[in-house]
Amino acid sequence: MMSAKPIVQVENVTHIYSRGNVVALDDVSLTINRGEIVGLIGQNGSGKTTLVKHMNSLLKPTKGRILIDGEDTEKQSVQAMSAKVGYVYQNPNHQLFARTVVDELEFGPRNLKLDEAEIEARREEAIEFFGLEEMRELHPYRIGFPLRKLVGMASIFTMRPDVFILDEPTTGQDNITTQRVYKLIRRLRENGHTVICVAHDMILLAEVVDRLLVMRDGHLIADDTPRKVFAMNEIMESTHLAPPQITQLSLQLNKRKVVLSVDEMLKELKS
Amino acid sequence: MQGIAVPISVVPGNSPIHRINPLPKMAWMVGVLVISFVTRNPVILGGVFLLGLLFVTIAQIWPSYLRVVMILFPISLTLILLQSIAPAFPQPWSPIVDVGPFTIWQEGIYSGLSLLLRIMCMTTFAMVMIMTSHPSDIFASMQKIGLPYTMNFILTMTLQLIPILQSEFNTVLKAQKSRGLKGTGFAAILPSMVPVFVGAIERVQQLSISLESRAFGSTGKKTSYRQVQFGLKDALVMAAGMAFSCIMSYWLLTDPTLDWSRTLTFSPAFALTLFFGAGIGFLLFVVLALRLVLTA
Amino acid sequence: MAKGKPVIEFKDVSFAYAAASDRPYAIEDINLTIYEGEYVALLGLNGAGKTSLQLCINGVIPNSIMGEFSGEFLVYGQDTETASVRELAKLVGMVFDNPEFQLSQMSVAEEIALGMENLGFSFEEMNRIIPEVLEIVGLSGLEERSPFALSGGQQQRLSIASALAMRPKILVMDEPTSNVDPIGKEEIFAVAAKLNKEENMTIIMAEHEVEVMAAYADRVIVMDQGKILLNGTPKEVFSESDLIQKLGLRTPQVTELAAKLHKKGSRKYSKGYPVTLDEAAASLR
Repeated sequence: MMSAKPIVQVENVTHIYSRGNVVALDDVSLTINRGEIVGLIGQNGSGKTTLVKHMNSLLKPTKGRILIDGEDTEKQSVQAMSAKVGYVYQNPNHQLFARTVVDELEFGPRNLKLDEAEIEARREEAIEFFGLEEMRELHPYRIGFPLRKLVGMASIFTMRPDVFILDEPTTGQDNITTQRVYKLIRRLRENGHTVICVAHDMILLAEVVDRLLVMRDGHLIADDTPRKVFAMNEIMESTHLAPPQITQLSLQLNKRKVVLSVDEMLKELKS
Repeated sequence: MQGIAVPISVVPGNSPIHRINPLPKMAWMVGVLVISFVTRNPVILGGVFLLGLLFVTIAQIWPSYLRVVMILFPISLTLILLQSIAPAFPQPWSPIVDVGPFTIWQEGIYSGLSLLLRIMCMTTFAMVMIMTSHPSDIFASMQKIGLPYTMNFILTMTLQLIPILQSEFNTVLKAQKSRGLKGTGFAAILPSMVPVFVGAIERVQQLSISLESRAFGSTGKKTSYRQVQFGLKDALVMAAGMAFSCIMSYWLLTDPTLDWSRTLTFSPAFALTLFFGAGIGFLLFVVLALRLVLTA
Repeated sequence: MAKGKPVIEFKDVSFAYAAASDRPYAIEDINLTIYEGEYVALLGLNGAGKTSLQLCINGVIPNSIMGEFSGEFLVYGQDTETASVRELAKLVGMVFDNPEFQLSQMSVAEEIALGMENLGFSFEEMNRIIPEVLEIVGLSGLEERSPFALSGGQQQRLSIASALAMRPKILVMDEPTSNVDPIGKEEIFAVAAKLNKEENMTIIMAEHEVEVMAAYADRVIVMDQGKILLNGTPKEVFSESDLIQKLGLRTPQVTELAAKLHKKGSRKYSKGYPVTLDEAAASLR
């Protein structure tokens, strides 16, 4: 484990939507450390989307404050935050517009007013990292949905944010690309990034994520390792998420250890 | 969730006007349209306008009505400004007073006032119709008098698409801001419009396949789920509307004494107040609108 | 399980989209018979041909989508090329992956009525059927809501209700849960299972959730590159775990576990792998 350096600090944040006077977040506090991969789950309307939108300044807290790398987001615009917190939308079609993948990758750095050499370096790094070599000159909309989603991620990668917020990175993906996304998320961490996955994909949450945050009705109701959270019956039921099948099996068989993957189960059965 | 709010749409209620079939209300709307084009007489137009406001009161739609007027009124003020110095009226014109290089004309003030009142008359009656009738009822009753089913569908769908595309646009703009895009100016147009358009095309493609599986392309007889009643009361209201329009138009067209364009004279004080009032009102509106756009 | 009469028959069906594509055929040499009351799961990567196969069932292919169609396709004994849109809509209901893109009307009731209007149902019939189908999908009382103000799961159930209103015998669903949250998924799977069990409706569902399909489906079909590679009971199909993985697909995790144990020399699964949680738990107790 690397030394715990906080990158995201949420301090007593309450958010009330002016329309309808809805309390979307109610006194939420949490800290995310540099290099963590965090999963954020909860039903629609639990406040998870509201929470992450605070992290890149799309929303400002009604009460409390958010610090990113020690800086208060209050005075920051979304544009200024974009270099620190990258938000990858669930639907890549909401972000992609350029004629070629290359243009798409350069869009963010250009908005940051970087010089040409730097833009080129970042673009090439992204192409290598995401394996987009063959589609450089393709129109993003001509690329099949699974890989288009990777282009969406890569277009945020070129902004080199400290924190990646990935909204359902594997939804609508086939298994091959899903496996690729898992690897990419782990590699992002190796490169020193922090990753927050808002996701329902249980295998992602079990096998990739270090820590699970569970939200309900604007409150953070659990914050622990997936292994521990999956064993909390009440919490899991309130999210309508079932743990991965293999985890359910281990719970049913009352294994000493809650397993998170098929390989773990194999080891467990041997002993 | 996305805010599904068409700016001009039905205001739920149960007033006597809400309970009338959309067709008679349309008859009134068209009737007033005809009257407004038949005359320029400000007093007559003012009277029709007041009648419209009475309907607004009965229908209890003041807040929504005012919201529309707030947008429309300042724009209409430009009419007064332009008309008073360059009347859309046959020569000769008689001057009232000079303002710098411009001359304010008698006919200009007359023409500006009557144009403004025309617009207000038509808007008011149109709003009473639209804000007291469910769009589906409007389309269903139009279908009854011969609007094709497909046309009906297109109208419904268009009305639905406006708020959907609006909310799509907001999502995309936020997504692009998260990539460091400055939210305003020409540079923002392409990155925020392309995804919205592509999404709309995809939506229409999928919808057309979905509709086909619901027999949309079938040839035989089609029915309508929305049932609109047309009772005696509706017939009376409709007849009243048509009669009102016909009698007024006949009177206005045949009685030459109702043309006050050369007889009604405005004092220089009145003309100047109106001119500058309109000018200031319009400028205020422009400044407010610009601030709204720039801060969005 | 006792098979009903054949209701869907593909005989050497191939189809190529007129619009240029990487592969000449979207589906190729499909031979497939589906029986009344079956719950069939379709698995495959994006572009494997699942959607094209499903669009044949209600005649959108080849009637509305341009392309080159060969072979013979029958639904309830009718050739889709000659059957009318009206007859096909009464036989086959469709639900697609994007819940919102299927909706167009101002209220839930009108959305459901749309298909019936096109079929010329009387007002009284529509008024009777709308609450009935809303009850089936669990949306009673929402008649006057805007379809666009519903959650994704509710929208998808509304699409199911709109299809059911035309009294179809077959329900075709193309990845109905892929854009829906967990609670919405549960609801959709529950409705589909109920229709299959209680109304003996034939269900054909393309879906990624293999664990759920293994539990519900009578039959699993695996497609790749426009062809059917595997076709059998969940047990038969998921037993081919090597092939399934090679295609880039998943088997249920318990099946994967059993296959790995089998390879390591366990004799427990020589008669086939478990495909559901309960089976697996029973085998390991």
